[in-house]
Amino acid sequence: MTNSFMSNRRDALKGLLAISAAGALAACKASGEAGDASKPKVLSGGPKLTTAEMALVAALAQTIIPKTETAGAVEAGVPAVIQTLFTEWGDDNYRNYWRAGLNGLEQHFLQAGGQNFAKMVPSQQANLLGKYDAKAYAEAGFDDFYKNMKSTIATAYYMSEPGATEELAYEPVPGEFKGCVPLSDQPKTWAT
Amino acid sequence: MADFDVIVVGSGMSGGWVAKELCERGFKVAVIERGRQITPEKDYTDMVDPWDTPNLDRTSDEDKAKHPVQHTVYAFNQNTKQYWVDDNKNPYEVAEGTKYGWLRGYQTGGRSIMWGRQSYRMSEIDFEANKKDGHGVDWPVRYADIEPWYDKVEYFAGISGSMEGLDILPDGVFQPPHELTCAEVEFKAKVEETFPGRKVIPGRVANLTKPTPEQTALGRGQCQARDLCYRGCSFGAYFNSNVATLPAAKLTGNLTMITDTAVLKVDHDMETGRATGVQTINVETKETKTITARVVFLNASTIGTTMILLNSAHEGAPNGLANSSGQLGKNLMDHVAGAGAAATMPGFEDKYHYGKRPNGFYIPRFRNHTEESSDSVRGYGYQGRIYRESWQSNVGDAGIGPDYKEANSKPGPWSVGIVAFCEILPDERNTVTLHPTRKDEWGMPVPVINQKHRENEVALMKHATRDTKLMLEAAGMIVHHTDNPDDITAENMSAPGRGIHEMGTARMGRDPKTSVLNQWNQSWDVENLFITDGSFMTSGGCQNPSITYMAFSARAADYAAKLMESGEL
Repeated sequence: MTNSFMSNRRDALKGLLAISAAGALAACKASGEAGDASKPKVLSGGPKLTTAEMALVAALAQTIIPKTETAGAVEAGVPAVIQTLFTEWGDDNYRNYWRAGLNGLEQHFLQAGGQNFAKMVPSQQANLLGKYDAKAYAEAGFDDFYKNMKSTIATAYYMSEPGATEELAYEPVPGEFKGCVPLSDQPKTWAT
Repeated sequence: MADFDVIVVGSGMSGGWVAKELCERGFKVAVIERGRQITPEKDYTDMVDPWDTPNLDRTSDEDKAKHPVQHTVYAFNQNTKQYWVDDNKNPYEVAEGTKYGWLRGYQTGGRSIMWGRQSYRMSEIDFEANKKDGHGVDWPVRYADIEPWYDKVEYFAGISGSMEGLDILPDGVFQPPHELTCAEVEFKAKVEETFPGRKVIPGRVANLTKPTPEQTALGRGQCQARDLCYRGCSFGAYFNSNVATLPAAKLTGNLTMITDTAVLKVDHDMETGRATGVQTINVETKETKTITARVVFLNASTIGTTMILLNSAHEGAPNGLANSSGQLGKNLMDHVAGAGAAATMPGFEDKYHYGKRPNGFYIPRFRNHTEESSDSVRGYGYQGRIYRESWQSNVGDAGIGPDYKEANSKPGPWSVGIVAFCEILPDERNTVTLHPTRKDEWGMPVPVINQKHRENEVALMKHATRDTKLMLEAAGMIVHHTDNPDDITAENMSAPGRGIHEMGTARMGRDPKTSVLNQWNQSWDVENLFITDGSFMTSGGCQNPSITYMAFSARAADYAAKLMESGEL
């Protein structure tokens, strides 16, 4: 009784929130477009990640968090979250930082693997990125962008619905707090 | 004939209580709130899932532009930013060479919406402190005067906690305490064994763990262990004005809520010596109005109340209304937080917690109580928690692929979060004044805040920092980081105001020459003017102060009601 009341209320509230969020988004876009006409374009690749950049992001994300019994980063919608951060949250500095960082990774893997990272087979991707990752964590200053990007990709994954509810454990309304329970009852980490 | 029996300026933690108590006594009460009416359907975000939270919950450039000060608060995020003021519209200045974080929200309920809910009584030791060590002036009350009012407000608000029998932190009327985690139980045992004068207890928090019939009747429900309180709670499970005091006041039929309306001045009749009402301005339309009443309560928050009284100066009260003592705006206090650490506890790998406790553990003050020091007075209490690390701590580690995914899906080691809250002494040099020329868009002079940490605060923080490390080590924890006590200075401590416990600028006292308010929170100068927000505090203790504001508010309202009933006011 209480639960169904709350889940109805929850859905109703979420509906309302979705509406207001869409409104806010529309307002943001309108002002962004108005501003664009008067601003010089400082980015060669424009205010959005290009198709090629998105292909690289998706391939990196899926190699970092592949599909197993649960969704991988791509199935969880991570690339779209990255695109939104890039276009709507970040400023030009942020966009330049990502663009330069992605370009560096693209060039590295072109040299190391002879083709675009996104076009490699998964085993080659895992092999090359595994080595790169190990180096990035072993050598300070080797590629801070990569570490930052990986953390962002992982955060986007664990905050996604499949990441939070399937890969991890998500309980929006626990009902009570228990300070010490066997881990075997809940072997996955809480999403929140 | 006045418009109302009572005007209450501000609907937050203390104003809500005054309104409830006086409405229930049959008086017609107007609550004037400068912010908007909170509507749960529109404002509460406690049902927003992580995947519906924009931009991975990162603060945007727009947020930073609108809230250059407020966005730095721990409780500011994409689901709570609606509760924090627009800094550009609500400016303040600080004296040269000082820093101050004035962190606030303008809406019905004020900061009771986003408060940390920790609720600790002040003790006899706190009420005697000024007299004993000579800082500030003596409180005009003692614990026994306030105890029944603590009982009353705790019962109504609903405080979860454990009975401990400590003189430094009196027990109260509690709902069942939250459990400690396995690692916290171990921490408690080891710390108490090593330091016989220290206790580790469950935090005392204004979340309902076993609602009373009175609370249920107001539509409030049991805490669901989500730890999302800062977003507003659809269950009404934590105390705030909007779910507790204001609904109770409304039920009487005696409450008039006037929102979006700022008070600029208290009107004062020089012939009678009494306040006649307040001058207001609608924050949207800028329409000004005079509202009259027999009695005025100021509950506009410490700095807000001080501004109103200073701005009410006239030829009969040239230094500000209710300020014949010259103490109005002086003795600004806060609590200074610090002495944090990074440490993990080995063991308990096969254990976890269920649910999210909106609370933690508490270590009551021991410094200069059970353990003396030669270089400081007063003390500090600690708040903390020991939880297992989650994916947030793991995602920055090396690794990719299924192994990385697997590692992130398992909880990490038990890791502590801990912070000490140190008392700040009342000091006349810590002040709020009005800017001589600069005004906000409603014509209110901008406050100039001048507060610094001084010798005693620095000495306490050094002790607290040492004590943090000693306790973590005593508990067998692996200490990854603590600050070096020798590096702590007044300048690098958390800035004044950042404890969000500002108080003291209209202190109570025993002598009208050295205090603004008498033992009933009543102005010495203006008999029908009462102040029960944090500005009445004669000293600050180290306890989170809201429950004390509530107790004094209920007590002062009762006193004012008796005077009105007898015809004296």
